[in-house]
Amino acid sequence: MPPIVEIQNYTWRYLHADVPALQDINLTIEEGSFVGVIGPNGSGKTTLAYSLNGLIPGQYQGIKEGTVKIAGTEVESYRPGELPQMVGVVFSDPEAQFTAMTVEDELVFGMENLGLSIPEIRERLEWVTDLTQLKPLLEKPPYEISGGQKQRVALAAVLAMMPRVMVLDEPTSMLDPMSRKRVFDVLARLKRESHNTIIVIEHNLENLVPLADRMILLHNSRMALSDGTEAFFRQVDTLTEAGVYPPGGIAFFHALMKHGAFAGELPLTLDAAVARLEGLMSHE
Amino acid sequence: MNDTQPAAYISVQHMSYSYPDGTQALRDIDLKIDRGEFIALIGQNGSGKTTLSKCLNGLYKPSSGEVIVDGLDTRSTSIVQMVRRVGYVFQNPDHQLFSANVWDEIAYGPRNIQLPADEVRARVEEAAAIVGLTSDDYEEHPFFLTKGMRQRVAIASILALQPHAIIVDEPTTGQDIPQSLEIMNFLQRLHDEQGHIIIIVTHDMPIVARYAKRVVAMGQGQVLADGPTAEVFANTPALAQTFVEPPQITQLAQRAAHLGFDPRTLSVDELVQQYLALHDR
Repeated sequence: MPPIVEIQNYTWRYLHADVPALQDINLTIEEGSFVGVIGPNGSGKTTLAYSLNGLIPGQYQGIKEGTVKIAGTEVESYRPGELPQMVGVVFSDPEAQFTAMTVEDELVFGMENLGLSIPEIRERLEWVTDLTQLKPLLEKPPYEISGGQKQRVALAAVLAMMPRVMVLDEPTSMLDPMSRKRVFDVLARLKRESHNTIIVIEHNLENLVPLADRMILLHNSRMALSDGTEAFFRQVDTLTEAGVYPPGGIAFFHALMKHGAFAGELPLTLDAAVARLEGLMSHE
Repeated sequence: MNDTQPAAYISVQHMSYSYPDGTQALRDIDLKIDRGEFIALIGQNGSGKTTLSKCLNGLYKPSSGEVIVDGLDTRSTSIVQMVRRVGYVFQNPDHQLFSANVWDEIAYGPRNIQLPADEVRARVEEAAAIVGLTSDDYEEHPFFLTKGMRQRVAIASILALQPHAIIVDEPTTGQDIPQSLEIMNFLQRLHDEQGHIIIIVTHDMPIVARYAKRVVAMGQGQVLADGPTAEVFANTPALAQTFVEPPQITQLAQRAAHLGFDPRTLSVDELVQQYLALHDR
């Protein structure tokens, strides 16, 4: 079976731009993996999201080199309406994608467009509202709910289409800490319970790192780093150069490594960091 | 003023605020802010942070109790007097910028308080220079600037009014880390070199740990905790009510306190030094 995402020698330059937004990207993502994408603003992260769901080259003018394949087929070769069933994108500003007068209509809209039967729509609606805990809000207008709730509606609307790849572009950048945690709780459950491929673009690493199987760093339009999450954070010099700061637990153990005081695996969660620190202290 | 103690620059006493529809947003707030402070106002959305900010600059008047700024009661002080004392920078600079070029944007405030033309010019040039804008930028349309630059224009337009205290609502939201640090280092310089009181309203706890000396934690319209940053982060019961978690490095130190680590740790370097000291013993 071909990989779910296969990008080869891919360069994209927006019309009238002096430099490419993405350059020489080679990336293969296996189905079912959870991938974190980080990098400074302007490094090409959103362009990558647009390239996966066909907005590029479909809706934008520019110059493309190389290929972007989803499940073995180039994005340009999908018939209209087919690619959204393969790749769904959730943006940081959910209001930009709302069209309906109630949360329920918002969730049903995409499914109706897919031509699903009413029983199928009911079943999926039940599933996504349970997963995202939106049941009490179904009758509400999307513009009357909080920012965190809006983001869960946007996520649910895309999930209801059951795309094989979900791309979330800074889904929590406008949210407060509790709403942010609830969005990541949904992603954690999705990772456990589904076989979706999940690609999350984020600046906020503390929630992302414990879930990510693998991390990608975009810097100056290029893929500066791509590795399993633990190996990724060992390369602190490359990360620092790109202005990426690992979560405190990782940064602490990396600093201990530099002092020659630690040599094991970097802890990716707070619990792991506490356990490792207790282990280190009890050896003395 | 006969007190031997200098009065606080901003003094909030038993202040409550209700919106016109009757919703009570703030309940019985007591807060004193002195000259030279660098404060972070934290709490969930809806906890009252922004409402409190707008009470501090006189945009909202207390429903009961009082807010005294530089000796003036905000209820009886004109907005022209207030904007010279407390400036408020919106979270989204686009909610604040409306002029066709950078110069007019920064000059709007000084003109509006009817300063003479040469004073307006001097204030704009000074404010622009402080935020790192040059005369090349004066004719730019704010719409064509980057978000970071638009935020600088927004801050410059507040600085041109020369307020003593500057409140910045979510300075780092939507910014990447280098941009966040640039804005925060800039606010730090305003604080250190120009002596401004800086109040940031934020959800970004690593930023709080790094820059703020004092934290005011809000929840349900009340102040739940108020004190030095490390102490508020260590006040676990109060913090739990705000649903805010300290930075991961602080949580690690707190959970390793039984091993001899300081639960008031704020940085990776501090924790490394503690580890090495414990190790040497």
